[in-house]
Amino acid sequence: MAETNNKQVVADIDRSLYDFKDVESEKDFYRMAEGLTEETVLKVSEEKNDPEWMRDFRLECLKLYNDIKVPDWGPSIEGLDMDKISSYVRHKSDMKGKWEDVPEDIKNTFERLGIPQAERESLAGVGAQYDSELVYHNVKDEVAAQGVIYTDLESALRGEYADMIKSHFMKLVPPTDHKFAALHGAVWSGGSFVYVPKGVKVDIPLQSYFRLNAAGAGQFEHTLIIVDEGADLHFIEGCSAPKYNVANLHAGCVELYVAKNARLRYSTIENWSKNMYNLNTKRAIVEENGIMEWVSGSFGSHTSYLYPMTILKGDNSKMEFTGITFAGKGQNLDTGAKVVHQGKHTSSVINTKSISKDGGVGTYRSSVIIQKSAKRAKASVSCDSLMLDSISRADTIPGMDIRTNDADVGHEAKIGRISDEAIFYLMSRGISEEDAKAMIVSGFANPVSKELPLEYAVEMNNLIKLEMSGNG
Amino acid sequence: MSNDLNMKVNVLPVLTYNFLHVNDSTLQISDFNISDNKSPLAKELPAGVTVRQAVPFAEAGELFKANNDRILATIDGHVEPNGDTSKRDDSQALRTGMGADVDGLMISMGATVDIYTVDEGVKADKPIVISYDMKDGDASLSGQIIHAKKDSEVTVVIVYTSDKDAKGFQGVSTRLFAEDGARINLIKSQLLGDGFVHFDDIGGACLNDGKIDLVTVELGGCKVFSSAYVNLAEKNTEFTSNMGYLVRGDHNLDINYVADQRGKKTQALMQFKGVLMDTASKTFRGTLDFKKGSSGSVGDEQEDTLLLGEDVVNKTMPVILCQEEDVEGRHGATIGELGEDILFYMQTRGIDEEEAKRIMIKARLDSVARLIPDPEIMQKTLYYIQNIV
Repeated sequence: MAETNNKQVVADIDRSLYDFKDVESEKDFYRMAEGLTEETVLKVSEEKNDPEWMRDFRLECLKLYNDIKVPDWGPSIEGLDMDKISSYVRHKSDMKGKWEDVPEDIKNTFERLGIPQAERESLAGVGAQYDSELVYHNVKDEVAAQGVIYTDLESALRGEYADMIKSHFMKLVPPTDHKFAALHGAVWSGGSFVYVPKGVKVDIPLQSYFRLNAAGAGQFEHTLIIVDEGADLHFIEGCSAPKYNVANLHAGCVELYVAKNARLRYSTIENWSKNMYNLNTKRAIVEENGIMEWVSGSFGSHTSYLYPMTILKGDNSKMEFTGITFAGKGQNLDTGAKVVHQGKHTSSVINTKSISKDGGVGTYRSSVIIQKSAKRAKASVSCDSLMLDSISRADTIPGMDIRTNDADVGHEAKIGRISDEAIFYLMSRGISEEDAKAMIVSGFANPVSKELPLEYAVEMNNLIKLEMSGNG
Repeated sequence: MSNDLNMKVNVLPVLTYNFLHVNDSTLQISDFNISDNKSPLAKELPAGVTVRQAVPFAEAGELFKANNDRILATIDGHVEPNGDTSKRDDSQALRTGMGADVDGLMISMGATVDIYTVDEGVKADKPIVISYDMKDGDASLSGQIIHAKKDSEVTVVIVYTSDKDAKGFQGVSTRLFAEDGARINLIKSQLLGDGFVHFDDIGGACLNDGKIDLVTVELGGCKVFSSAYVNLAEKNTEFTSNMGYLVRGDHNLDINYVADQRGKKTQALMQFKGVLMDTASKTFRGTLDFKKGSSGSVGDEQEDTLLLGEDVVNKTMPVILCQEEDVEGRHGATIGELGEDILFYMQTRGIDEEEAKRIMIKARLDSVARLIPDPEIMQKTLYYIQNIV
């Protein structure tokens, strides 16, 4: 008891922004039976009207899934029973290109999440996925006129970009990578395809928003982005789900190809509900002089395995990863980043913040690999963890493997708490203890929020307030 | 006695990605015919220090079992970190850096240890010096326990030597127990020949106000495991460690250091400075583990590695585990070749690049070697450095 005497007590605040549920009626939704068998995989393939190669690929992935073991180093996923997860749930209506045509119940959901408003005010295009399928996809005319392709992956798979999809799909994240990459390959559905032609700079971001509304379901969207030579794109990914008492699963896959002299910024604010197992895989490959920037905020999920990886293949290619993870009550968030330096004069900067509170387990895990070919490579890693009580955990597990003598690698990590002096200072200026702590935590997260567009930085700060209140 | 044991040692306290191949290492001793299981006796004992020789390994562990309720007191509300491996070594009477497989080896091969006991309140007036002088073809397993009773203080210097070209195997278990207010300074200088497989598996525990200070110089051997696990079991306990190493040729150094911070206001400071040359490889694992209840504790680990061979392989795993709010933990690592500014500075003073490198290697290693309190062994170590550099 003594241990909590001097701790903040903050009243609960409303989480209904994300937790509201729209009941899915059987009449409007198709839901595949729970479990993962060859029959279910073939059924997904049939639903998607897959080309033959994709159907065979799915079956191969299923075999791999059954053969590959669960990792022995991460959080427990014992609570995840694939026999109780439906791999495919979709609304019976098709994807729409006009917002007014989206079914009313789904439209209400996205309206409450502010997606159409964001599209009107600050985005070049939006994709909205509800459960297993895209329900809405639109790109602004002026952006489309530049030759930018932003569409659902299924359409691209059958259209003029079919060959491009085939030559890139799960080549960067092969299904042999790990068990859940194999699962993804077997039952993937939905997601976006983006192609930015040579030299095209998209001034305002594109966004995909993923909502998993069904209980006991999985979402397996695939995002494939190709930024061609000299092109520039900012892509934003958002995710949320209402909370249920049964486990939900997200095993998405993101493959990013950054060509010579191109730049891609990929920002994510992840706020899955706290019954979600988030086993997501993200990977980028960067050619000569290319730049890959990740901005990643992990707030939701019951359990997360998330380590966006960058392969710096081309000479002088660069990567920057800025991330924040907030692990609250009941959460075990194992997050970080991976980078492989292959090209000469490549450079990477990883800067992460982690906050643990109310029994949450936050683990920063990373790997920096500098191959022999990566002459004069530079890597810098900085990870800071903030402990807000002594029932939580904050662990940092960074790994470095350096195989060239002229690399320059720096690493620093710090772990600690909010200083009493800082709180006292703020309180002496009339700020309550709870506000003082929330301010300090927001300040701690500032290096991440300043990398986000204003409206997303505001959302992130709201999420921090929500988590600080103990009601996240 | 021959054997075909392949043991899993230096297991990381928490597992990580398997593709990094740092979660553990394998110690192969099947090539050696272990015939010698005794430790050399210290040349001269300080007043107040006694020794029991050739105590069977398992029997020697009774000392730690008798104090188990203080060394490994149950931590209420402990939450395991992801990938936790701690249960693997639960059988150890005192946790060591290399882990339970080495205890099993010592017992199965009939190894014995010498137990040095420092009487209560005794401040040893000179170091205990233990010299392992290995011959070509030797294969031995041995060890020592240093037991510093309440408010005592002792310095122990262990030196491992052989001819430069000698081959063989030498496994050593060193266990340290600092009771309330006691202080143990352990200095280890490893100057073995290029053909030696060597390990020194160190485990330590400190009770209230106890302190363990470790200085390690690793210069010889073709495959070396250098490991320590120090349990800061109670309040105001301290562990400091300074290691200097040089790995050359195709040799390999495998390090696993853990500071288990359980008591309140504990302090762990670990520094590792080293050089990799030619095609040498090194794996460094360093862990600060702030257990629940270790409020007011501080931990700092720093690694500084100079890479001087085009084909070197350096793996670094600096881990911080934490389940306590009121702590300060830091780790830092700088890995790379000699800085251009230092080289430039040297060159402006007429020193060429090769000579500049030699100076920097020597400076790095000498700074640790000069912490050796026995003048003869310090000189021997400095001479060894001079020769290889």
